[in-house]
Amino acid sequence: MEYALLQAVFLPLLLSPVAYILGRKMGPTPAMWFTFAILLYTTILVINAAMSGTVEEHYPWTSLFGEFGFVMDGLASPFAIIIYVLSTILALYSKPYMIHKFHEQYEEEQKAIQSSGGQSAVVTSSSLNEYVNAKSGLYFALFLVFAMGMLGTVLATNLIEFYIFFEVMLIPGFFLVALWGDGPRRKIGLMFLFWTHAGAVVLLLGFLMIGLTIGSFDFADIKESEIPQDIVLASAVAIAIGLGVKLAVFMFHIWLPYVHGSAPTPISALLSPAMIGIGAYGIFRLIVEFLPTTFAELSIWFHIWGLVTMIYGGAMALMQDDIKRLLAYSSISQMGYILFGIGSMSTLGLAGAEMMYITHGLGKGILFMMAGIIIVKVGTRSISKLGGLAGKMPITAVCAVIGALTIMGIPPTSGFMGEWILFYGALETAIDEGSTVRAVTFGLGLVATALTMSYILWMLKRVFFGKTPEHLEKVKEGSWYMTAPMMVLAGFTIVLGIYPEMFLKTIVPYMSGVLGV
Amino acid sequence: MATESVGLPFEATSAAAWLVWILPFAAALIMPAVGKASKHITGYVAVAFALMSALSAASLFPVVLEASEIHHQITWIETLGLNGGVLADPLSVIMANVVGWISFLIMIYSTGYMKGDKDITRFWFWMMFFIGSMQLIVLSDNLLQVFFGWEGVGLASYALISFWYRDKKKDHVGTEGRTVLGLLDYYSPTHAGMKAFIMTKVGDVMMIAGMLLIFLFAGTFGFKELMGDFGWAESMAAQGLLVPAFVLLFGGAIGKSAQFPLNEWLLEAMTGPTAVSALIHAATMVKAGVFLVARIGPIMFALGAAGILADQFFEIVAWVGAITALLLATQGMVNSEIKKVLAYSTGSQIGYMMMALGVAGLSHQYVDGYTAGFFHLISHAMFKASLFMAAGSLLHVVGSRFMSDMGGLRKHMKKTYAFMWAAGLGLMGAPFITTGFWSKDAIFAAVYESGNEWALPIFIIAVLTAVITAFYTTRMIGLVFFGKPSKHIEKMEEEGHHIHEAPLSMWAPYGILAVLTIGIGIIGLSAEEGLHHTFEYYLENSFGIYTVHHETGESILPSFLQGLNPVALGASLVAFAVGIGLGYIFYIGRWVDATRFVNSNIFFYAIHKLFLNRWYLNAIVYWCFVVAPLWLARAVFRYFERTAIDYGMNDGFQKAVGWGARVVQGTQTGVSQSYLFVFGAGLLFVILILLI
Repeated sequence: MEYALLQAVFLPLLLSPVAYILGRKMGPTPAMWFTFAILLYTTILVINAAMSGTVEEHYPWTSLFGEFGFVMDGLASPFAIIIYVLSTILALYSKPYMIHKFHEQYEEEQKAIQSSGGQSAVVTSSSLNEYVNAKSGLYFALFLVFAMGMLGTVLATNLIEFYIFFEVMLIPGFFLVALWGDGPRRKIGLMFLFWTHAGAVVLLLGFLMIGLTIGSFDFADIKESEIPQDIVLASAVAIAIGLGVKLAVFMFHIWLPYVHGSAPTPISALLSPAMIGIGAYGIFRLIVEFLPTTFAELSIWFHIWGLVTMIYGGAMALMQDDIKRLLAYSSISQMGYILFGIGSMSTLGLAGAEMMYITHGLGKGILFMMAGIIIVKVGTRSISKLGGLAGKMPITAVCAVIGALTIMGIPPTSGFMGEWILFYGALETAIDEGSTVRAVTFGLGLVATALTMSYILWMLKRVFFGKTPEHLEKVKEGSWYMTAPMMVLAGFTIVLGIYPEMFLKTIVPYMSGVLGV
Repeated sequence: MATESVGLPFEATSAAAWLVWILPFAAALIMPAVGKASKHITGYVAVAFALMSALSAASLFPVVLEASEIHHQITWIETLGLNGGVLADPLSVIMANVVGWISFLIMIYSTGYMKGDKDITRFWFWMMFFIGSMQLIVLSDNLLQVFFGWEGVGLASYALISFWYRDKKKDHVGTEGRTVLGLLDYYSPTHAGMKAFIMTKVGDVMMIAGMLLIFLFAGTFGFKELMGDFGWAESMAAQGLLVPAFVLLFGGAIGKSAQFPLNEWLLEAMTGPTAVSALIHAATMVKAGVFLVARIGPIMFALGAAGILADQFFEIVAWVGAITALLLATQGMVNSEIKKVLAYSTGSQIGYMMMALGVAGLSHQYVDGYTAGFFHLISHAMFKASLFMAAGSLLHVVGSRFMSDMGGLRKHMKKTYAFMWAAGLGLMGAPFITTGFWSKDAIFAAVYESGNEWALPIFIIAVLTAVITAFYTTRMIGLVFFGKPSKHIEKMEEEGHHIHEAPLSMWAPYGILAVLTIGIGIIGLSAEEGLHHTFEYYLENSFGIYTVHHETGESILPSFLQGLNPVALGASLVAFAVGIGLGYIFYIGRWVDATRFVNSNIFFYAIHKLFLNRWYLNAIVYWCFVVAPLWLARAVFRYFERTAIDYGMNDGFQKAVGWGARVVQGTQTGVSQSYLFVFGAGLLFVILILLI
């Protein structure tokens, strides 16, 4: 299909004003369905393109930067599919959650007006409706732009294009957090903007070094040209740091627990698995593919860095009481797995790392949705105030267990498929190179899976099992808008866990091609 | 060497091998819908599917009789060149039948035991999921697929241990308020489930490392493919990785079968419904480890025969088994909860099986130990499932897990009493009439005859364990059925609860197994010989392990015992007599008061306390792997994450910017003297640098 990728990327952007107007005029439900329809259509485009092998589209751009293009190959297609599938079903999930949030904020604002001594505003249902309509229009418009920014990044074929999309997803992200986050949302929104932007600037620095040296920003040109050694190393390190901030690896993870904890839950569910993993995509594309020799030098450091992140994120997750912060630290730990896989520098290690992205997208998506349902239905996010919810919300509990299994890497969920392939890759390199360091990191990495299991099971136990506190006696199951998306993802993770071939058949050839095996 | 698959007589058998494990999964899948329609029929659906699965397993039995095999493969993950498949050979078919039929009986029992539970659908879902996963382990033809089943049974075990997830007091195990080394020895179902899952995961982590190592060198997970060509093993051995890889695989078995040092989870697993304990934590899942060793052991032995030495593997297996057998048996002597006594006993008996499988590899006659271990697996599955189900009846009737709340029950529950004796005699190894006797005796003989340097110490441990086993079994029966009714029972009767026999659906299953224990026991020697014969052919055909037939001269034994080892036989007779005698003195005849005896001197007291506190192993595990890491994580969180990262980088950056702004502001004083002063100082500094 012609222009499929162009449509997939730009349709959501172009139609986002429509979503805004729909929301304003007609309320959240039409806006939600409209958003859902656009995303569903574009998702089908993406999946369709992915099924027909490598798809490339090129469009003229300024002569300064080169071509504006999209490419969907073995690397990009799983990322693209997960990003859009998650966005599509989270559009549904957003409605009940965001309406809950808007109501909360409306009350807050009314209270603020009253307490500031202004006229005692009369709370009428019509003003509340208007408020909700206006906000939901804005929300869905931003949501579309956010999704589109993520997709654009993974399809870009040009460094500058990549950078632009990389920043485009940041802007709606910032607004979504700053407008509807929990806690000190403006401060956290700024923190998000500041740290990820700082990372992006370092990234841009790396891009400029490469681009100006070889005189082109096009991926195709970079791949073919010889870059001087000293520039390569410096730019690779800059790119790694820039993407490391996005991945929130150890020492660059400052922003993540705050942002994921505070962001509106559907956005957390998008941020956490889909967006931060784009850092991994960047490493695959920019370092593994374009700078292979440097990658060979750096891989052991990625490996160790990944290991440290795995363990650190897991250990910190053990200490959290806020359910969303726990999941945020868990995401850090999972990004460690991905980096660990990338550092393994073997076909299957890299393939496993990409499988981890997919599987983390599914698993963490489910778990964040679970957190959202709890926030809406119970009204607290503190684990110590929860307990025994399995009897009250069975569907949520079952889906959460499946999501948890995915994160823990227990078959038959996709988590296991990602994990064993990844660890196999790590072991392969360790044995081939006869490297003790790699053997030790392999062992510790496996031990880290037990740590992952501990914090996840402990969370499940404290949230869903045990005695039900009295104040939770009347808790009800979440609405279908919220549970159905979870069930879709839960089904998906099991299918993928039993039959991973659909992704592996595109990933593995790409990875072996990149490594030149 | 006949490694080629023997042609299948009819295609249907290969379908049966798939159906054995697919049927229970299908039942699990439809269970939620069935439960929605009507909760009453869930039980029937489950029993029906369990029966169909068992029948499919039974239909595979010709494989055993003909010593053939069915190997059927399909493409699974093409990119990685992996196939999925079923491998029905004598080993797996016998195991599948043991699992299938015992699960079927336990399913019938569960319809009675779980009657009226409002979460019954969930119970059946997980039971069927479990049976499917277990049969998947048994019938898979490759390690990766085994691992699917392996984690599946772990998951089902987790879900069923914490089945009563509301953590009511009556569902806990341990004594409330009792502490060991400052840690509570009292566990809720959800805690127990988590503990079981994480502890077995430690084993699984090792197993997966072993699997991946083998895959790396062999390029396959398939059992048949591994036997095809030993090139992989040679290169592994050259790098010194062969034994580590197999020991790592064995690590998975250690975790799943609750062997030392990953044995502590099995005790807490008793928080699950008793049907679960009988099925998962006695008859089947904990045997998965033994089965795995039986699967990979012959490969290892064949490697040894091909000149790639791997004795350490078998030594480790044997010693882990021996240590576990003794360690857990000692603790079984002192525990006050009936299910925990049985759990200790289970771990200890599995230790026997491991011991036999390990010793087998150290001797020249591999088939002897192999048969002994597997025969013990079968007989143990029968009598222990029976004992557990009977214990479940007791719990059901008395409403307490403590044996001190029972007592004198033989008048009220005659059937349970009789069956428990029968199955208990099997566990004790009562001579000549129980399966337990023959299988245990075979283990003794295999150990004794192995001719290995470790044979004697392991033999002594085995015999000592047998004494202890007979003792604690007698103690259990004595405490429950003999003596005066406890205060608890008197109170129940005062309140109008009549102590009565369990319903038919409950006593029939354990009755059948108890009768089988004796029934097969009577023809035990020929049963064992039949099994020996089957395995001889199996090992020869599939692994090229040949059995040397000696002409054994006439021994001093009477004619019906010809072929037995007199030393082993004598040892098992003595062990049984001593164990049951001591047990009788203390708990049935009650000639000596046990409590007073223990407190009579400091030595007995200390030993008793050591056993009661689980050799302090559980507490040590908790201190090292729970308390300390949590403490460390908290410290890092507080002093690194919160301080250095959060405060240092986030707030620090904010403050630094603010402070920088103030500094810049501060310099703009507008006082010309200070400008001049700074200017002069700067000039001086530059001049100084230039001069130097």
